[in-house]
Amino acid sequence: MVALVIALALFFDFTNGFHDTANAMATPIATGAIKPKTAVALAAVLNLVGAFLSTEVAKTVSGGIIKEGSDGIQITPDIIFAGLMGAILWNMITWLKGLPSSSSHALFGGLIGAAIAGIGIHSVNFESLMQKVILPAIFAPLIAAGVAYICTRLAYALTSRHDPETGSKLTQKRGGFRTGQIFTSSLVALAHGTNDAQKTMGIITLVLIAAGTQQPGSGPQFWVIAACAFAIAIGTYAGGWRIIRTMGSGLTDVKPAQGFAAESSTASAILASSHLGFALSTTQVASGSVIGSGLGRKGTSVRWGTAGRIAIGWLFTLPAAGIVGALTALLVKTGVVGVLIAAVAGTSAVLFMFFQSRKSHVGHHNAVEVEEAGQAVRFRKKKAMAASRANKSKGVQ
Amino acid sequence: MKWIELIQVAGATLVAAVTVVVLYSVGVRFTAIAGDPEQATPRWMKSLAYVCFGLCGLAVLFGLYLIIPYFSK
Repeated sequence: MVALVIALALFFDFTNGFHDTANAMATPIATGAIKPKTAVALAAVLNLVGAFLSTEVAKTVSGGIIKEGSDGIQITPDIIFAGLMGAILWNMITWLKGLPSSSSHALFGGLIGAAIAGIGIHSVNFESLMQKVILPAIFAPLIAAGVAYICTRLAYALTSRHDPETGSKLTQKRGGFRTGQIFTSSLVALAHGTNDAQKTMGIITLVLIAAGTQQPGSGPQFWVIAACAFAIAIGTYAGGWRIIRTMGSGLTDVKPAQGFAAESSTASAILASSHLGFALSTTQVASGSVIGSGLGRKGTSVRWGTAGRIAIGWLFTLPAAGIVGALTALLVKTGVVGVLIAAVAGTSAVLFMFFQSRKSHVGHHNAVEVEEAGQAVRFRKKKAMAASRANKSKGVQ
Repeated sequence: MKWIELIQVAGATLVAAVTVVVLYSVGVRFTAIAGDPEQATPRWMKSLAYVCFGLCGLAVLFGLYLIIPYFSK
């Protein structure tokens, strides 16, 4: 059971990686600052580095949402197994739909559902849930959007030059921001590694402690850190192209200066929140920034339909992952056969979604289309772009 | 409720992002002015641009210094 949970946790880390590549790399890919393949490789390396850099908060994963410890309820590997199942399935579904959704919310949702079904409703600390998950979920996109809006305005105000012959200099300006984007997006990827890889490390450590193979209160072991770092890096390199498309061109047309502003805001928000101990979701911050920067540039429109779809996805993340987690927990309760059924059902669901994604041929691995979208943003007129996007979104659906 | 933390995070985010964006934008603008072909622009324009980029880089490095517990411990 412990080995199974560790394998599942590493797979969750993998889905987390490819789900969240978009946070860092969608805007530079969309503006053509970095080539798609290079971008995901860069993000993968930085995630790897980031995962090794910081392991401080790894053990505060469930963070008191499920009452644990001596006076509370002991979390068993069974519950964690069920929770991970819920998180992975929800990550796969949102990836198939191209929705950027928070992997940590999926994990929380799965664990909460599993705990309710496996132990009882009293095992969940709702006040902590409200403080650590619900409120940040509302404010993270708002803060990020507000800051990105101000930054975009500033960036354009500071670089706008009222000279009649600025035609040649326009390219120069953007070239500057495009180079800057490489650094800001790298920063986001690094911050992501320091944040998200730790959740899985925490989970595995929790399992090892529960199984009695590790001292309670000790930090993650080195092989756990290494395994998680590589799992998230490989996942990032696999690249969730569907989500990259949504973030890079589905929400708004991103220009280099705008992308620079959005990424600066995302990086600042993630770093500030993890430093000051008010955890915000990387995904929600990044989505908020892209929308905010879209509002900040004159002549751009934000596609609120897409934004609405994303918001609905966020609303469903907790309950949906929770329901899957709860069902799995009920199955696991019945014994070894239940575990087997759950494992087989989960694996086949993941495989089914993988093949489903292959069938609709929009190609999560197809970098060229994303690159085309980037060029469209730069060179083509609005009408042609709208048409091509309409075709693409038809393909995605 | 953690309202104080929330405001802190919002404020820190705003300050950090605005610092980076303003410095970089000013740098980009100076580069653009220095690149003006017709009028002879002073050489210090170009250096000023590099100063801006440098300050921006320093701000980013300071941010990294803050998040990596190895340094800030």
